[in-house]
Amino acid sequence: MVERRTELAIPKPDMTPMIDCVFQLMIFFMLTLKIVSAEGNFDINMPIGQSSGTPDPLAQDLKVRLKADVNGNLVNIQFGSRSLGNDERAFAQLNEEVLRSIGGQPGGPAAKDAEVELDADYNLHYSYIVKAISACTGRFDKRTKQVIRYIEKIKFAPPKAKGANS
Amino acid sequence: MDNPEVDMTPMIDCVFQLITFFMLVINFESTSADERVKLPESEIAKPPKVKREDEVVINIGFIRKHDGTKRNPDGSTDNVDPLVFLNGEDIPVGAMTPRIKKDLQLYKLQHPGEAIKTVVKIRADSETPIGAVQELIKLYQEQKYEKFALQAMEAEQD
Repeated sequence: MVERRTELAIPKPDMTPMIDCVFQLMIFFMLTLKIVSAEGNFDINMPIGQSSGTPDPLAQDLKVRLKADVNGNLVNIQFGSRSLGNDERAFAQLNEEVLRSIGGQPGGPAAKDAEVELDADYNLHYSYIVKAISACTGRFDKRTKQVIRYIEKIKFAPPKAKGANS
Repeated sequence: MDNPEVDMTPMIDCVFQLITFFMLVINFESTSADERVKLPESEIAKPPKVKREDEVVINIGFIRKHDGTKRNPDGSTDNVDPLVFLNGEDIPVGAMTPRIKKDLQLYKLQHPGEAIKTVVKIRADSETPIGAVQELIKLYQEQKYEKFALQAMEAEQD
């Protein structure tokens, strides 16, 4: 005799184990989450013996001298023999001077050969170096939202002795 | 009387959304960044387009009190020198040579006969004297490292 089911009950799955697992997963991801702020970098090429060797006559070195006080604050920026000051305007001026020195053509042949040598006092804070490197490397064009590169090659002059601020 | 059953569907939907979000934003890479180092900001600094194969991250900065004043490891606040924060240790810049040599030995074992291609990524605190950074670069140069990168925080651009 054939058994006939009159009511076909829809089986309800037990959700508890899945919810347990899912919560475990969520707690794991929440705890391992680490918000990392975006960092950028400036490449500094310092081949061995470069700082102590004789200067290459073909290389077009632009010298940027950064003077600091005993507390490490910037006193003066000197580009070649020109004194530019120590405020935000000085960095803007440095940026203009660098652009002028590469013939006003970012990405041109002069920009490829040029190299900036940073000569800073021992005490000078790292933040000023980053500003100076930024001013030499290029500028951010607000209109196109692109970075216009000036000079990519940056190097340091031999380090100054500690406490020998001028 | 039947037991009232709660409809779990909206909650499960939400929880899955949350899981997806956390899965997407998670970063398993160890960044080797030390929280004590506050990097300066720059609009121009951009991460390298091609990921570097080999790099060493060096954090250099100061130990600070709660009010932000710099202090030496012994607690004094006079003539505070920057320290290199490496694997949970605080090392003066001048004492880094043995560490660099150890790294170099390991590199040479992994890459026998090859020139050093490692990039030394320097994460320096905004107030670190550049002389200390240069001293560190010099110590690495003495061990034949040639490529260095100075780190800065990407500034907000409007």
